[in-house]
Amino acid sequence: MIHVEGLKKLYSGDRGLRGFNVNIAQGELVGLVGPNGAGKTTLIKILATLLPPDSGTAQVNGLDVQSEKRAVRKLIGHMPDVPGVYQDMKVREFLLFFADAYHLPSARKRAALEDVLAWSGLGDRAETYVEHLSLGWKQRLVLAKTLLHGPTLLLLDEPATGLDPLARLELRRQLKELHRRGVTMLISSHILTDLEDICTRIVFIADGMNVGQTSPSASRTDGVDGGTTVYEIEFLSSSKPKEIIQGFPDVQVLSLAETTLRLGVTGGREQVARVVSALAAAGVGVTRVQPASALESQYQQLFGSRQ
Amino acid sequence: MNPMVRKELNLRMRERRGWILPTLYLTVMGATVAFAYYAVTSEVGREGIQGATVGATTFLTLSYAQLSLLLLLVPVFSAGALTIEKEQRTLGGLITSLLRPREIWEGKFSSSLLFVGLLLCTGLPIMALALSFGGVGPIELVFTVLTTLVIVATVSTFGLYFSATFRRSVHSTAVTYAAVIVLAVVTLVVFFLLYSQWTSGHRGLPDSEMPRYLRVPLYLNPYYFLTMGFGVAANISRSEWLICLAVYVSIAVSFIALTWRAIENSGEQF
Repeated sequence: MIHVEGLKKLYSGDRGLRGFNVNIAQGELVGLVGPNGAGKTTLIKILATLLPPDSGTAQVNGLDVQSEKRAVRKLIGHMPDVPGVYQDMKVREFLLFFADAYHLPSARKRAALEDVLAWSGLGDRAETYVEHLSLGWKQRLVLAKTLLHGPTLLLLDEPATGLDPLARLELRRQLKELHRRGVTMLISSHILTDLEDICTRIVFIADGMNVGQTSPSASRTDGVDGGTTVYEIEFLSSSKPKEIIQGFPDVQVLSLAETTLRLGVTGGREQVARVVSALAAAGVGVTRVQPASALESQYQQLFGSRQ
Repeated sequence: MNPMVRKELNLRMRERRGWILPTLYLTVMGATVAFAYYAVTSEVGREGIQGATVGATTFLTLSYAQLSLLLLLVPVFSAGALTIEKEQRTLGGLITSLLRPREIWEGKFSSSLLFVGLLLCTGLPIMALALSFGGVGPIELVFTVLTTLVIVATVSTFGLYFSATFRRSVHSTAVTYAAVIVLAVVTLVVFFLLYSQWTSGHRGLPDSEMPRYLRVPLYLNPYYFLTMGFGVAANISRSEWLICLAVYVSIAVSFIALTWRAIENSGEQF
């Protein structure tokens, strides 16, 4: 569905893409992960036909995103990082306008409109002015707008930014449903737990280049780095746990904050139990122990030194 | 109907300025008529004055006042038309839809021009007051309105171009006003400099002997274009008016092409 090879787009200050490659098959739900300025938005904008690349290949369903823009636009739905809305339009007017902008024939337009209104839960708010919607509802409206013409590829740039937890859960549910319907998706996001939950594959990007990829389901079971699992331990602020942990050769301190410790542990849950026992015996008040998200751990290992 | 045109017209008439501006416009036009009538009659005395003089003076005053008002207003409508889409982050949605740059431009241009057309139409009854005094006829009125419309349409095209080029409304509006000042004032200054240089070198020759190329700045001047429009019916200034028309249409067409291209390439601006 997406074929990107040697894609370059450099801005002043040397940011952008420097030879990025990715192939995404039909029906995949791929998360694009990387630090700010890594090139995520640039990649999505190029695929959405908004930006011309400096060099390289970017194709959607075999169509070049530069020379066959209109054909590509028929296939894609693009949701930018800051989705824009017309505040002084009603929800129904907003969707009708974009249905017309996608040149939907009258009969299909009405059906598509009712379909996205029902799907997004905006049916009860169809006559509400957009300016009176909360951010979460505006996000739903923009997502509904991108689905009007029945795109087979969705390009979503930070779709969950600014949403409250309930709205994020709802967005996740909606994206999973779209994935079940066979829509291919490329999602850029910093919310790793969301991506871990919904994506079939995660692609890591830094400095405009690929730096790895993972399958969330695989990383959940295998841990990081061939058997190392990251655990988060919370403790009382007066404690000093680092010296105690240094006595365990298979345990590595990844980070230490005032009351939180991140450990890379080789040797499974038994080893963690021994560490916690040692901490307790030394008088460290441990208040919580839990395995960290595998994706977060991988992210930290990949990008921790860059930030 | 082009969806952009429908959207723009709907939203434009929902704005508060949709009714405030025509009200202010008519107030200023009404005050101008009153001022012109008072000025011309008080100078000569009511008994000695010809109706045709009152009619012609009122008509000319109104025509120049109307053009000045519209030159002030058109940048407000046109120069922010596309930058507002960038500022509210909606331009990307328009570009990635199946709307062509031409359709986006048409929506913006027609909403800007139709609003100006509305102002022109609401001002027509006031303009027509002058007809009742004599001195001017319906043909002069038609050519005045037509010339004014061509001028404001051209200003709209470069307002839209700047709007497609700049990211912020404040910048595109400032540049559009600067361009209006160049057309309305700088061209006159340049012409008078050229004229004085030519007359100093050709004493005794009538102005009609002045080479046409020295009048190029005048052909860009909206007030000169309007003035030539007054004499078209009487065939006094038809050729000059036609040259001005050709210049303005050429400028407009060039800016339309540039704007379509700028819209197509504006993906980097948001």
